[in-house]
Amino acid sequence: MDKKRRTLLTTGVAAAATAATPRAFSQQPAGKGERFYEKGNVRICYQEAGSGFPLLIISGGGLNSTIAWAVKNAPFNAMEEFKNEYRCIVTDLRNAHGGQSSGPLEVDRPWDSYTDDLLGLMDHLGVKRFMVLGFCIGAPYIWNLIKRAPDRVVAAVPAQPVGWNKDHPTYMYDLSMKSWAPELMKRQPMITPDMIDRFLKRMFPNPDFLFTVTRDFVRKCQTPVLVLLDDSPGHPYDVALETVMIAPKSEVTLYPWKDTKERIPVAVRQVRSFLRAHRPVRA
Amino acid sequence: MAFYEKGKVRIHYQEAGSGFPLLLIPGGGLNSTMANFTGNAPFNPMEEFKGEYRCIASDLRNANGGESSGPLEIDRPWDAYSDDHIGLMDHLGIKEFMVMGFCVGGPMVWNLLKRAPKRIVAAVLAQPSGFRPEIPDLFYQNNTKGWGPPLVARRPDITMEMVDKFLTRMYRTNADFVFTVTRDFVRSCQTPVLIMPDDVPAHPYAVAMESAMLAPKSEVSIFPWKEPKERIPVAVRQVRSFLRAHRPAAA
Repeated sequence: MDKKRRTLLTTGVAAAATAATPRAFSQQPAGKGERFYEKGNVRICYQEAGSGFPLLIISGGGLNSTIAWAVKNAPFNAMEEFKNEYRCIVTDLRNAHGGQSSGPLEVDRPWDSYTDDLLGLMDHLGVKRFMVLGFCIGAPYIWNLIKRAPDRVVAAVPAQPVGWNKDHPTYMYDLSMKSWAPELMKRQPMITPDMIDRFLKRMFPNPDFLFTVTRDFVRKCQTPVLVLLDDSPGHPYDVALETVMIAPKSEVTLYPWKDTKERIPVAVRQVRSFLRAHRPVRA
Repeated sequence: MAFYEKGKVRIHYQEAGSGFPLLLIPGGGLNSTMANFTGNAPFNPMEEFKGEYRCIASDLRNANGGESSGPLEIDRPWDAYSDDHIGLMDHLGIKEFMVMGFCVGGPMVWNLLKRAPKRIVAAVLAQPSGFRPEIPDLFYQNNTKGWGPPLVARRPDITMEMVDKFLTRMYRTNADFVFTVTRDFVRSCQTPVLIMPDDVPAHPYAVAMESAMLAPKSEVSIFPWKEPKERIPVAVRQVRSFLRAHRPAAA
């Protein structure tokens, strides 16, 4: 936690101020173990838990992907599940509403700017090789991480992966425009609707596949991946299964795995086995 | 090819590869033989896993088409087969092992887990056999036709009456679930199990999934995993990860 904020939160004044001006603090909910990684204009809020081989956990929630989502809204709390065996690291996505990470809107390189943050954080933490588990929007990030840092990502688990849905071709654009853009423009008045439009169109082309990599990339990918399928407008089943079928080192869970709560532990056990099977003997 | 002998029992077995021991039980009902791995099995587990494991497979006692033989123990059919598996492991000096069973290997795996829970580190049940209420006499009838007559023809000491008693005990006496263990046993089973469901008459999906949902350390493959055939390698990779994850570090 940054020094200024720590000072504020340790005083009663801060509590009163929070109550009086909730919006001013809405980007800074009180949390446990939050820390910040800073690079230039980018400031990324992250948390760590546990020890062992590093496991980067990318939260879901579209562009509002936050640590809180991973804890409260994910089908399972990956930090809780894996902190006994792994050094779990999770972040608020840059500029996610409800999170504490911020930075410029890089309209010409949306996916790469987010990936910069994740790789930069790993560098900052002195982590060279790691495994990654990403929910929802985390899947395209995972593929981009594998493209950008194939020697660093040892194994990957895309869960409920986001992809281009032929039946809902502008779903991710529309969702982001509605649930992410307005709040961001309020917080950062220099960001214009035109910038948002360019950013999102660049991020979610129509048509596409996984948004970050091509089928040819997946066909050649030598990183073991375990895919947890879903079937919703933002998480197309067909695209996820196609990645499973073309990736040479893919695995897949039972399906459906999260529709009844009794099945979730079965899928989590498979994730655990997959991670153990691919964890290097020496980190 | 080698033989393990104990009393009147003679079990034909084969080994391949090296590493932590992996017992492989072929499918094919009571005509379960090693040839099944190169014939009807969705994949050949000896070939898949010999690179990492000491794979051991055998012809089932008295399987037609195999070279294993022994008495027909009409009062303890499942246990007689388990005796052979455990006896072979003893014979090979193996204490702890993993096991992967196809088809009839499913109930046999559960019986091994009941008989030798401390020796079995992890188990894979592929296309497991189980009781299907819609066709309650399926196994008795199939084996009465497909297994009993050829066995009786080549074994003067065995009669169809004995076959009837054997199959009745095996498939009619406890005609439920996975035949060899109860739901309570599965609920309390602390051995990691990976279940790969099928859904043909002898391999009921419902029983496979019920056992997966009951077992506290279960994992499950996608279903279907055998069709289209391009899915088989995906399932095999899951088996490989499961085995690696549960293989003792200092084996």
